[in-house]
Amino acid sequence: MKKQNGGNAHFSFTSWQQTCLITSTLIGVGVLTLPRTATSRLLEAGWIVPILGSIGAYFALWMITKLSRRFPGMTIIEYSPLVWASPENPRLGKILSLPWIFIYLMFLYVISAISSRIFGEVVVTSVLLNTPLEVIIITMFLLAYFLCLHEVEVVARVNEILFPLNLFPVLFIAFASFQKAEWNHLFPLVRVPGKSMLEGALEATYSFSGYEIMMIYFAFAQRTSNKEKAGFFGILITTVVYTLIVVAGITVFGYEELQRVTWPTLELVKTTQVPGLILERLESAFLAVWVAAVFTTIANSYYTFIYGLRQFFGKGIVFQRIAALFLLIPLFFIALWPQNIVEIFKVSSLIGLGGLCLNIGIPLIYWLVLFLRGKGWDESKERKADG
Amino acid sequence: MAKRWLLVCMMLIVSCMLTGCWDRRELEERASVLAIAVDVDEENEKNYRMTVQIPIPLKIAGSSGQGGGSNTDAVKIMSVTGRTISDATSNLQLRLNQRLFLGHTRVLAVSEEIAREGIEHIMDGFRREPQIRRLLWPIIVKGKAASLLEIKPELAQIPVVFIMDLIENGQKMGIIPNKTLGDFFNATSNKAMQPLLNYVEASRNEVKWKGIAIFRNHRMVGSLNPNHTWSLLQIRDKKRGGDVVVKLPETEDDYVTFRPRFVDSNLELKPLLRREEGLEAIYHCEIQGDIVELTKQGYRKGAPEKFIKEMEALIKKEMEERAEQMIVKVQKQYNSDIFKLGLKLRGHHYRDYWIKHDWIQDFRNFPIRVEYTIKLRRLGMEMQ
Repeated sequence: MKKQNGGNAHFSFTSWQQTCLITSTLIGVGVLTLPRTATSRLLEAGWIVPILGSIGAYFALWMITKLSRRFPGMTIIEYSPLVWASPENPRLGKILSLPWIFIYLMFLYVISAISSRIFGEVVVTSVLLNTPLEVIIITMFLLAYFLCLHEVEVVARVNEILFPLNLFPVLFIAFASFQKAEWNHLFPLVRVPGKSMLEGALEATYSFSGYEIMMIYFAFAQRTSNKEKAGFFGILITTVVYTLIVVAGITVFGYEELQRVTWPTLELVKTTQVPGLILERLESAFLAVWVAAVFTTIANSYYTFIYGLRQFFGKGIVFQRIAALFLLIPLFFIALWPQNIVEIFKVSSLIGLGGLCLNIGIPLIYWLVLFLRGKGWDESKERKADG
Repeated sequence: MAKRWLLVCMMLIVSCMLTGCWDRRELEERASVLAIAVDVDEENEKNYRMTVQIPIPLKIAGSSGQGGGSNTDAVKIMSVTGRTISDATSNLQLRLNQRLFLGHTRVLAVSEEIAREGIEHIMDGFRREPQIRRLLWPIIVKGKAASLLEIKPELAQIPVVFIMDLIENGQKMGIIPNKTLGDFFNATSNKAMQPLLNYVEASRNEVKWKGIAIFRNHRMVGSLNPNHTWSLLQIRDKKRGGDVVVKLPETEDDYVTFRPRFVDSNLELKPLLRREEGLEAIYHCEIQGDIVELTKQGYRKGAPEKFIKEMEALIKKEMEERAEQMIVKVQKQYNSDIFKLGLKLRGHHYRDYWIKHDWIQDFRNFPIRVEYTIKLRRLGMEMQ
């Protein structure tokens, strides 16, 4: 129905671009606190957290991929009326899908606000002590806005280009800190009771949120690209990075000390000694590069939110540009909502929980509805029609 | 045309953002503290006296060409008091023209007096301050901590640089442990470890490394002399430690000096044979090294092979004795697990040992043995 909007963008994302999109969105501000959050329940065994968490993420992403296969070339905004009602009744479908789309878009909106707040917070507390928090947040928003001025294939290219900047700093820090590692910190392997193990695993899934943007972007995947594979690698790369950083955190600090530091990954950077003393105070350099990783998280979420709105109202790029500008204002206030650092972490963990429910909940409900309406098996027919 | 105007507007807006940042501060606009010393204030026992060393950039840059002044000129030493460390810091700021910058602090000297009372209160400020690097070296100073900053070493323009080089080169040679603030933090929050720090003494012109200070939960409980520290370094960190001077048997005043080159150490935890339950720790320490000095001429009587064996046995005996003394001291006198033994026990014997014992108390009674294997490789340039 809205083919005129992104017509030229359709079917242009390569598999690699999809992987980059997923990885860069997942790797963001969460990494800065991950070693602490991962060890809070599971103590020494905290490095299992990302691995456990990835299972939920694989499952959710697999369902999202299947939904996208069921409705090829359509975003969640486009196919949800078809899920909730028959194509002859688009108005009913739209009304029924409204709450889901609303929750989905609001979540993306809030996540971009809180991510930029956390980033602003870490910059203000550790590097730029005199710079107002608002300035850092606004600068980040303007960057995100700049991305929103463009069509959707630009997002894919930006993510592809920034992808190395997402990976390199974390990998460098993780490997550089292994020279200080005390491996006995990792043992005993299992000592917590089953209940905290479960809680830890649940909390683990929080750190994986962001791949829900693929509910939109899979629609633009090249027909020949393998979405399952792209998704799998996206999550896999993230899992490896997460695990490495948690292992580095545990082996260098030990879990007790990790619980005491606000930004464990940043402390890890501070403990890292670059031979030759070329770079003292590496954390400034780290955060400077890290901007790229945070940018991809915030801008991707915000872009997806804006693009979702645009599709929902069936408008064009002009609407997108104007809406993106005006919606920055409430976004700014949401970002400044939490009053102190404790509240920020509380909100961020609530968002994690929300993300988990949303990522697994929405695809699951959609599939249930499809099956209940007896439309679940259309996929095979359409595939035949395609091929 | 409209597009061109838009471009111009955009450029104007963008240039507004290029005005620089709030935190821009040139190098000469900072008062960079290189070292901090913390003492008890003599006038009021409850207060701390904080002494800082601030380099004077102009003096350092100028002196190379002009033959240099005495090195007292290159740094400014200031001393303030305060109820807490941050109180003292703000008092210091009142006396400075530039803003204090702690990001280049490399040495934190704490007097033994304060260390023995516990340094938890001091460290909290350093934990919170983002400028403080975890790689800086806390050092326990015998006597007044400020004396460490006031030395005039003459070999280096800035006293702190002299101290830094001393520690850094000691580390490279494997005779001084690399104990950073980060290590101290990690060890104090870890239930299975106890921290240790370098222990020095400063006189008017000199500073001397005197071994290590042993802590038990933030509180200094004692120290180890260099010989014992080297035993510790060998079994704990596989560092080589310093030369070993052994008195030759059946001689009046003759010695052999052994220089360790490579050290490998393994900690083995095995069930006690004597008793039904319980564990014992055995450090297997293999040292390869050379003889660098043998003061008695014509000491060797038998075949060279036999001589090597004899010497190895002699050195082994001496080193095991030293390690033994060190362990007894650490266990019985200080009762502080600086061996990282608890870490290994918690990791590998969690269910059968760790949860049944209170390690902080029971470390005292844990059997520890050290077995040295000496491999004498060379005799230097001398063949006899």
